[in-house]
Amino acid sequence: MNARSLALQTMSIARVPGVAIVLVVLCATFGLTSPGFATPANIANILTQSTILLLLALPMTVIIMTEGLDLSMGAVLTFASIVFAVTVLTTGSPVLAFLAALTVGFCFGLWNGVLIAVLDIPPFITTLGTLGIAQGLSLLVTDGQSVVGIPHSIQSIYSGTVAGIPLPVIIAALAYCGTHTLLYHTRFGTYVFALGGNREALKVAGISVRGLLIRTYVFGGLMVGFAALLMTARLNSAHPTAGIGMEFDAIAAVAVGGTSFERGNGWLLGTLLGVIAVGVLRNGLNLLAVQSSAQVACIGALVIIALFIDGLRAEP
Amino acid sequence: MTAVPLFELRGISKGFPGIKALDDVSFELRAGEVHMLVGENGAGKSTLMKVLCGAYRADRGSFFHNGKPVTINDPAAARKFGIAVIFQDFTLVPYLDIAQNIFLGRELSGRLPGLIDRRRIHAEAKRVLEMIGFDIDTRILVHRLGVAQQQMVEIAKALSQDARILIMDEPTAALSDRETERLFAIVTRLKKNGVAITYISHRLSEVFAMGDRITVLRDGRKIASVLPAETTPDRLVTLMVGRPVDSTYTRPSRPAPGDMALEVKNLSGPSGLADINLNVRAGEIVGLSGLVGSGRTEVARAIFGADPISAGEIRLFGQLIDGSTEDSVRRGMALIPENRKTQGLALARSVADNIVLAGLGRLFPSGIYIPARAIKAARAIIEKLRITTPTPRRPVATLSGGNQQKVVVGKWLNADARFFIFDEPTRGIDVGAKAEIFRLLDGLVHNGAAVLMISSEQIEIVRICDRAYVMRDKRIVGELSRDDLTEANIVRLGTQQ
Repeated sequence: MNARSLALQTMSIARVPGVAIVLVVLCATFGLTSPGFATPANIANILTQSTILLLLALPMTVIIMTEGLDLSMGAVLTFASIVFAVTVLTTGSPVLAFLAALTVGFCFGLWNGVLIAVLDIPPFITTLGTLGIAQGLSLLVTDGQSVVGIPHSIQSIYSGTVAGIPLPVIIAALAYCGTHTLLYHTRFGTYVFALGGNREALKVAGISVRGLLIRTYVFGGLMVGFAALLMTARLNSAHPTAGIGMEFDAIAAVAVGGTSFERGNGWLLGTLLGVIAVGVLRNGLNLLAVQSSAQVACIGALVIIALFIDGLRAEP
Repeated sequence: MTAVPLFELRGISKGFPGIKALDDVSFELRAGEVHMLVGENGAGKSTLMKVLCGAYRADRGSFFHNGKPVTINDPAAARKFGIAVIFQDFTLVPYLDIAQNIFLGRELSGRLPGLIDRRRIHAEAKRVLEMIGFDIDTRILVHRLGVAQQQMVEIAKALSQDARILIMDEPTAALSDRETERLFAIVTRLKKNGVAITYISHRLSEVFAMGDRITVLRDGRKIASVLPAETTPDRLVTLMVGRPVDSTYTRPSRPAPGDMALEVKNLSGPSGLADINLNVRAGEIVGLSGLVGSGRTEVARAIFGADPISAGEIRLFGQLIDGSTEDSVRRGMALIPENRKTQGLALARSVADNIVLAGLGRLFPSGIYIPARAIKAARAIIEKLRITTPTPRRPVATLSGGNQQKVVVGKWLNADARFFIFDEPTRGIDVGAKAEIFRLLDGLVHNGAAVLMISSEQIEIVRICDRAYVMRDKRIVGELSRDDLTEANIVRLGTQQ
C-alpha cells in the first residue's frame, strides 16, 4: 500500500465520520424542522453558547487520553464562579477576581493530579470525591443562595464583540489553538499520547510519569478557572448549582468526537466538532421547546449513536 | 581473535529470592560480530541481557569497555556506552507517528521556546530509517504498522541513539519468513558498520545462519561459548538440555487409555493457529509443548471456547461442542489457566467459596446460597485433594502456591469436570509442591479423567505425560510417545525449522 494514501486514510476514514455524520444529520434535521435554526444570529448563538463547554472539553480530551477522567469539572467550575463573584463584590477588582478563580482551578487540578499520580488513587474515585468537596464548598459559601449584584461591566466579557465576532467565540478559538499547539507541538503533548498509549515507553525514555499526570490535571483546573469567568459573566451572577452536570456534557463531547478511552487515541478537532454537535443539539431542542431534562437524555443518545457509527467503521 | 572486545562482562552473578538466575557468567561483545545467546526457558538469557543494559544490577562481576573497567548500575549508564535493547514487548506509543516514536524523550527543539520542531524530527527519522533501508512515510501512526514494521521502528529508535551495542530478545519470534529475511539483511548491514549485536534466539537454524559466536546458558551458568563451525545443531541441543540426548525417565504405570475424551480435527483460528489435530483419551495425560509464543495457550483457549475458531471441529466425549465456554463447562471440561491469581481464583474469598464457584448451579438448584452446604462440599474436596488449610473459611490468598493450584482443581472437580486442561500448572510453585501437583494429575487420570497439560519445562512433560505434542509457529510439528518422548526431541522439534 502506498504510504501517503495510508496516512490520508488515517485522517479521513477512521476518524471523521462518526462525529461529522452526526453533526450533518443534526443540522439538517433542525434546519428543516425549525425555521429559526439556520440563521446567522442563531449560528453565532450556538457558537457563543458552546464556548464554556469547549473550555472544559479541551482539557477533558487531554485527561481522557491519559486514560484518566475528571468528574469534578462541573463542581469546580461552580465553586470558581462563586469565588469570582464573591471576590469581585468584596474587592471591586475583576482582575483580582479572575486570578482568584484561576487559583481555585489550579488548586483543585493540583489536588486531583497529586492524588492520582502520587497516591495512585483511580481518577474516577479521586475526581468523584473532588466533585463532592467542591460542590459542598459552593453550598457552604453561598448558603445555597445565588451571588448577585456583580457589576454590569463583567457581563460584557460574554456579550461583547470584536469586529462583529462575539468575544466568547474569539476566546474559544484562542483556547482551541492553544490546546492544539500544546498537544501536537510540545513535549508535554507528545508525552500525553504516550501516557495512555505506552507508559513503559516513557519510563524507558527517562520521563517522569507522575509529573506529566499532575500537569495534565493542573491544565484542566486552569481551563475550568477560565471557564468560570465566562459562566459568571454569562449569568451575571454565581449560583451554587450553575455548573452541575457540565462534566457530563464535556465527556459526551469528547466521546462523540472520537477520542478513545484507551491507548492514548485522542483527536482534538473531533472534540471541537463534538462540542458543536452537543451545542447544536441543545439549541435545536430549545427551538423545538423540548425541556432541558429531555435534552440530557438526547445527549446521552447522541454519544451512543456517534460511537456506534465509529464502531461500524473501526477495523476489527 | 586477539583484539580487545568492545564490551565484556566477567563473572556476573545475579540472584533473586529463591533462585540463582546467573552464576559466574562471562560474556563478550565484539564490534561487527553477532553473538547468539541460546538456552532453554529460564536458563538466564533475559536476565543476562537485563544486567547488560542496566535494568538489573549484578550481585557480583565486572564490566569492561574497550578493556577498561567500568560500572553499569542503571539504564542511563548503559546508554552512555551505546548499549540499546529491543525487548519483545515493544516500547512504542500507538497513536504517535513513526518519527515521534523514534525520538520519544529526545524531541528536537524548534525556534519558538517550548515547541518542538516536527519537521526536523521527521527529517532525522527519515535519515535513520534509510540507514536500515526502510522506506516509509514517517507520519504514519505506529498502531497502523505490522509487527515487523514496528520492529524496524524499534531498531531505528535504538540506532538514533548511536547504539554501538544492540541487544535483541527473540526478534524473529513474531515475524514471517520474509520479514525475518529483511531483519537479517539489516543485521548484516549493522555488522558491517561495526555494531556489536547480541541476539537471543530459540530457532537453531537462525543461530547457525546469523551467529558469529554462540553462547549456551543453562540453569544460570555459561555452559559453552563456541563458533558455529565447531558445532552442530544436535550438539547444541545436548548442551542446552544438559543430559545425554537418549536419557529417558520412567513414568508411573497407568491403566490403558479408555474412550476418546477430546478430539480436535483440523482446527484453525484467527490467532494464527493452523490445522491443529490432537486427541486425549480418558486415563491419559497428554503434553502440549513448545516455546513460549508457539501457540499452546491459544490451542487451550480455542478448545475451551474462550477464543473463536475459523475452521475445524472439536469433539468432547464424542460429541461436537458449540464453541462457548458455558457449553464446554456443562459437558465436563475445565481450563486451569496459567495465571491462577488473576484468572482462576477469587483471591480474597475463602477456600470454600472458590471451590463451589463453578458448581453453584448444581449445588444450589434453587438459586439460594446455603453456606453450610457449601462448606460441606468444600470439605469433601479439601480432603480428596489434601489441601492444606486450617479451615475452609480461610481466604485463598493466604495459601501456598501449590495449595492455591489445588483449590482451582477442586473447583472444577466440584463441577464434575472430566477433561482438564492445565496451562503451566507448576509455574511459580516450589519443588516440593510440584511433586504434589503431579500426584494430583496422576490421581485425576487414575479416576478416569483426561488431562491436557501445557508446560514450558520439557522435563515435566517427559516425566508426567504419556504422550506429547510439540508446537512451533502456531502449528503442531510432531507427536512424541514412549521412547521418543525425550527432552532432546522436544527441543529439536520446537526449535528447528
